[in-house]
Amino acid sequence: MTRFAESAPSKGGFSFDLCKRNEMLVQKGLKQPSFLKTGTTIVGLVFQDGVILGADTRATEGPIVADKNCEKIHYMAPNIYCCGAGTAADTEAVTDMVSSNLKLHRYHTGRESRVVTALTLLKSHLFSYQGHVSAALVLGGVDVTGPHLHTIYPHGSTDTLPFATMGSGSLAAMAIFESKYREGLTRDEGVKIVAEAICSGIFNDLGSGSNVDICVITKGKQEYLRNYMLPNPRTYVSEKGYTFSKKTEVLLTKITPLRELVEVIEGGDAMEE
Amino acid sequence: MDSAKTIPMEGRADDLLRFGIHGVKSDIIEPHPLQSARRSAKLTQEEMKKKILSNTYGAAFPMKMELDRQILSKFQRPPGAIPSSFVGLEAFTGAMEDFGFEDYLNDPRESESVRPVDLHHAMEVRLGLSKGPPCPSFM
Repeated sequence: MTRFAESAPSKGGFSFDLCKRNEMLVQKGLKQPSFLKTGTTIVGLVFQDGVILGADTRATEGPIVADKNCEKIHYMAPNIYCCGAGTAADTEAVTDMVSSNLKLHRYHTGRESRVVTALTLLKSHLFSYQGHVSAALVLGGVDVTGPHLHTIYPHGSTDTLPFATMGSGSLAAMAIFESKYREGLTRDEGVKIVAEAICSGIFNDLGSGSNVDICVITKGKQEYLRNYMLPNPRTYVSEKGYTFSKKTEVLLTKITPLRELVEVIEGGDAMEE
Repeated sequence: MDSAKTIPMEGRADDLLRFGIHGVKSDIIEPHPLQSARRSAKLTQEEMKKKILSNTYGAAFPMKMELDRQILSKFQRPPGAIPSSFVGLEAFTGAMEDFGFEDYLNDPRESESVRPVDLHHAMEVRLGLSKGPPCPSFM
């Protein structure tokens, strides 16, 4: 068996090729770049008919604001969304990968994904990488068993809560939730509290800033309110406007869609029940 | 599985930057704790699955599965430009419904230091005439 496992080509994934070299270079006196501070405010709460997720839109690279309007609420399944804090690339890679897994699972079972499935996939993945994939997530969704909200820490531990916050602005946001949250909130009240919590993160935490994104998930429906609030608008725009040199010539604007390779027929004869 | 520890890899001794200075300790200890953790986690998961199956269906069932798995893993394309797809094996083990980092990140075939497979050498290894891994992945 070992022989045939050996003869298979090596697989991708994490590469540990350069660990030895880096260790050697550190021993020789090379100073490694220090860690960059990450900053985010992400929140979620359960209201009377679903879940509301919220996030700020600032991406930082240590002391530098890298992106003023990034997206931190990621799509997982039609009924599940996930907010990500930590290393932006890690949160995106993990949520995209689990989203693909859920899609494959839906094709296999023909049923709506459950939030616990996404939760288990995420936590087992994060635990198997022992915190080296630095993604702190707030997972929310509505499935057949009702609305669910979970937080997932980078090492794979999880919480199930009626309201949750994550990221460096989590303390500021939690202060709002702890003083204003109650059971049986309506949609508008919930959105208002979430926006307030995110604003509290934006104005009190240096790692968070710019705009408020909100995602409302109810049974069979989801609203993604991108830039729900713009509390930090651009104050100066040149009166003369900005002109850019015309160097790119547009040759063709017609888009030819690729041919669908596989035709999926719904409701065909199932092979087995 | 433990081939990296026991069988000397081709081109291994030369590449000091990638594998460190050749020594007993550096051969046994892996460069990063995560690497061994990942592998042992995978092994224990497989063992656990087998144990559950043998508890549920009796000892013969996982044995037969193992036989089928070996037969299907032998079903490969000759080494060369097109990699084996292992459709049968993947359908059998359920790997078809899994999707992980190894499927889209750091594909060894897209590596800039990948070495083209030598058909003759790889066939000799497969038939047991020659030693060493048939697909040495690095220059």
